[in-house]
Amino acid sequence: MDHMIKIKSLSKSYGKLKVLKNIDLDVSPSEVVVIIGASGSGKSTLLRCINFLEKPQKGTITIDGKEVNHKTKNLHLIRREVGMVFQHFNLFPHMTVMNNVIEGLTQVKKVPHAEAIEQGKAMLEKVGMLDKADVYPAMISGGQKQRVAIARALAMNPQIMLFDEPTSALDPELVGEVLQVMKSLAEEGMTMVVVTHEMGFAREVADRVIYMDEGQIVEQGSFEQVFDNPQNDRTKAFLSHII
Amino acid sequence: MDFATFLEYFRTFIPAAWTTLQITFFGILVGVLLGIIFALMRISKTKFLTLPAKLYISIIRGTPLLLQLLLIYFGLVNIVRLDRIPSAIIALGIHNGAYIAEIFRGAIQSIDRGQKEAGISLGMTGGQVMKRIILPQAFKRAIPPLGNQFIIALKDSSLASAVGVQELLLHSRQLASANYLMMEMLTIAAIFYLIMTSILTFLTNRLERRLKVSDHRV
Ligand SMILES: Nc1ncnc2c1ncn2[C@@H]1O[C@H](COP(=O)(O)OP(=O)(O)OP(=O)(O)O)[C@@H](O)[C@H]1O
Ligand SMILES: [Mg+2]
Repeated sequence: MDHMIKIKSLSKSYGKLKVLKNIDLDVSPSEVVVIIGASGSGKSTLLRCINFLEKPQKGTITIDGKEVNHKTKNLHLIRREVGMVFQHFNLFPHMTVMNNVIEGLTQVKKVPHAEAIEQGKAMLEKVGMLDKADVYPAMISGGQKQRVAIARALAMNPQIMLFDEPTSALDPELVGEVLQVMKSLAEEGMTMVVVTHEMGFAREVADRVIYMDEGQIVEQGSFEQVFDNPQNDRTKAFLSHII
Repeated sequence: MDFATFLEYFRTFIPAAWTTLQITFFGILVGVLLGIIFALMRISKTKFLTLPAKLYISIIRGTPLLLQLLLIYFGLVNIVRLDRIPSAIIALGIHNGAYIAEIFRGAIQSIDRGQKEAGISLGMTGGQVMKRIILPQAFKRAIPPLGNQFIIALKDSSLASAVGVQELLLHSRQLASANYLMMEMLTIAAIFYLIMTSILTFLTNRLERRLKVSDHRV
């Protein structure tokens, strides 16, 4: 089977600071990969590279057969294939919930407005936010904002969804509703790469768990392999710390 | 001075106030246009654009408006012969353009980085992100400082008296020296300025409140 994401010897540094060191990672279609690791280990940077928000110095990333390197032009065309959900939602505050969701459709895909609204309704329905279609982001809770942000990314019909700590800015009682949406997305067969410290989610949904440390993948396997039987001492230390 | 005389004088100020309004309005218009252009140049990534913008802003902010006005009206005489009012409008426009450029630049740069990233990750181009996501939010944030700048421009328009534009200040001084009523004539001019600045303040406050509906951190 062809890989949906294929990362080969990816390196990224900011000045002298090496943030990603020669990362290799393949993700199959419909696979859900959860990335864990200490703060500063490069998790966000890796996701941002997969969405080409950061330009790596070295290595290639192949998305659904299309290879991208530091010389590739027209990155915005490839980005449509990859949806991204941010820790702080990043909804557009000057647009209603519905307009947030259809912005990509009308501006990027040039879908006619009426049709975009139909698709937008379907997406909002999916995340249980249709009743808030006409309000501004300032009027809804954090969990609701994140669900709208997921709908906004899904509206572009991406092949891959990236989540960077999607629940870590939320009050504890709002985490569940967002994880529920992510879980049903995984069940529908979406290819997902998720940075999270929600271990319940990792146990239930992840096909593979990756532990990153200082810009490298030091351990990976099923949830049970990584959690119950970690091979690496650093993984052990990290896990004892978060559980 | 009895009230009837006062009113008589007061009425003669109306055409001068109209001139003040006109040079202010067109000066601001030119200033906003220049401000947008130079703000975008200033934040661009090519030196070819940022350098001229920086140069313009620092020259204008580093020299007095009165000097700029005299330069345009008298100094350019051998190149172009401009009338008094166009000279005043151009000087006011160029001068305010530099300040407005800085206001827009600050507003644009104050928009959270995540906004740009969200747009980019939807597949929008840099231009689309600027036009659809950044500028609408930046414009809202620029309103209070812009309103402030407009009030400064209105008051600065009095410098046009130095090149003989028949605006409020020149009119009051001419009347004052003709009738020896310096205090009274300057007071009438002050009343006109106060009315106009109050209206400007009222308008910007109202606009600000109206646009606030959706404006909270997200
Ligand atoms: N734009 C940047 N410029 C300079 N250094 C950066 C930049 N972005 C990230 N870094 C550095 O790169 C390293 C990795 O950052 P990254 O955000 O990928 O870590 P992370 O694993 O996501 O951490 P966290 O769990 O705190 O989100 C950190 O040391 C960070 O300070
Ligand atoms: Mg991070």
